[in-house]
Amino acid sequence: MALVSLDGVGKTYRGRGGAWEAVRDFTLDLAEGEFFCLLGTSGCGKTTVLNMVAGFEPPTAGRILLDGREVKGPGADRGVVFQGHDSLYDWLSALDNVAFGPRLRGMGRRARRAHAQRFLELVGLAGQGGKHPSELSGGMKQRIQIARALANDPRILLMDEPFGALDALTRATLQGELSRIWAGTGKTVLFITHDIEEACALATRIGVMTRGPGGTLKAVLPVDLPFPRERTSDAFMAVFRRVHALIHEEMARP
Amino acid sequence: MNGRAATVAGYLAGFALLFALWHLAATLLVRSALFPPPLPVLERAAALIADGILQEQVGASLRRILQGFLIGSAAGIPIGLAIGSFRPVRALLEPWTEFFRFIPAVAMITVAVIWFGIGEESKVFLIAYTTVFVVVIATAAGVGAVGRDKIRAAQCLGATRLQVFRLVALPATVPYILTGMRLAMANSFVTIVAAELVASNDGLGKMLWDARLFMQIEDIFVALVALGLLGFATDRLFRLAIRAFAGRFNPTM
Ligand SMILES: Nc1ncnc2c1ncn2[C@@H]1O[C@H](COP(=O)(O)OP(=O)(O)OP(=O)(O)O)[C@@H](O)[C@H]1O
Ligand SMILES: [Mg+2]
Repeated sequence: MALVSLDGVGKTYRGRGGAWEAVRDFTLDLAEGEFFCLLGTSGCGKTTVLNMVAGFEPPTAGRILLDGREVKGPGADRGVVFQGHDSLYDWLSALDNVAFGPRLRGMGRRARRAHAQRFLELVGLAGQGGKHPSELSGGMKQRIQIARALANDPRILLMDEPFGALDALTRATLQGELSRIWAGTGKTVLFITHDIEEACALATRIGVMTRGPGGTLKAVLPVDLPFPRERTSDAFMAVFRRVHALIHEEMARP
Repeated sequence: MNGRAATVAGYLAGFALLFALWHLAATLLVRSALFPPPLPVLERAAALIADGILQEQVGASLRRILQGFLIGSAAGIPIGLAIGSFRPVRALLEPWTEFFRFIPAVAMITVAVIWFGIGEESKVFLIAYTTVFVVVIATAAGVGAVGRDKIRAAQCLGATRLQVFRLVALPATVPYILTGMRLAMANSFVTIVAAELVASNDGLGKMLWDARLFMQIEDIFVALVALGLLGFATDRLFRLAIRAFAGRFNPTM
């Protein structure tokens, strides 16, 4: 059985400007342990899909199941890494940010800090736990977000362009580390990006969305390349070209 | 800590400059018995302190400010939190805050004296009155300004509504609350002087009033300088508290 399944999911926003159908008839099954990259042009509805899976917003059509149960709202079984880093708590140290989930479940101070320390090590920030978010670089903040989500041991990790605001070098480094962490933990990941190379480097499957309004899945491609990915290899380039062609077809569509 | 030493040195230099300019203005520019230079004022202050009079007046004013301020804050913070958190509460209480906001405490002095007499109660009431609305508005604004992602992050880490409030909304609002209290404290100084000028048996406002009646010009300046220094000191304390809570430093790991 699929870990997460989206079944004919649609979302129509109703606001002052009238109704806007952002997502239409979106159907997808995510298997346990896979790394799924959702790729699409700006405004095609990627964040909308992720927000519905996270439970932040209800779908207006279809339904979303997690382990066979319908998603009704946000919950600890789905960890989220946000695009910006406003989600970190400025008044807590990096370590206490990572320990926040266990704290909610009533874990004692010592135990949860020891627990959080392990996840800081996992994201390569072992010695930086005492710093506050305002004292961390953009890349470090995203590492903290990843550690915070993982420390809570969710069934699936939902990531909305987590590296979108980083410089190219930092982004490549973090992609490598995320890939290593994913391989080590076996977590299921739904990763949103509009960077084709990023998707090809990380994903076991890539879903390409159509352009909005009414964004939906245009195609799903399995990526059967070994990790770590060799970005200059012919096989990698071949995948890149196929995805590139799909995206550009969408961009060229009137 | 070097930065702090530099700040203190800067402040001292700033005050020295202020007194120097005052001295120059009084001795060279104005040269009137109505504008004494700083030295006789400081001498008068020393005499008043030696007699215990200045401490008494300062103590009377400060005690009223502190009582009213604490009552006003204690009422204002929960009301502001409720307004910021619950729409119906906001709809119900917004007319109150927006109505009373435009009736300054100074305008309430007459009713306060009629209701509570010229004793402590009327002053404490006025300070509490001036404090509560400022704190309510700042607190409610703080709750409204908590980032959406901060709340969502807690929700998908498994937080209950109460946990979101206690562990996210509340700490994120603390800097706003402190800023509101800082503003309210400044207003309290205005209010206490006005109230004591009009109706009081002691306090800095009363000291100003009596000094005017008996043309003790130095006493007026002693009271003014005391007000400025007290206000400056309390405001610095609030700034320090705000900075500590804003989380730029890591107090405890
Ligand atoms: N709260 C909202 N109310 C109304 N319309 C919205 C809302 N959120 C998103 N939309 C619209 O839905 C469409 C999809 O938005 P979404 O944020 O999902 O796009 P996206 O694929 O994540 O884009 P990007 O890559 O730029 O982040 C857009 O046209 C957007 O204007
Ligand atoms: Mg988006």
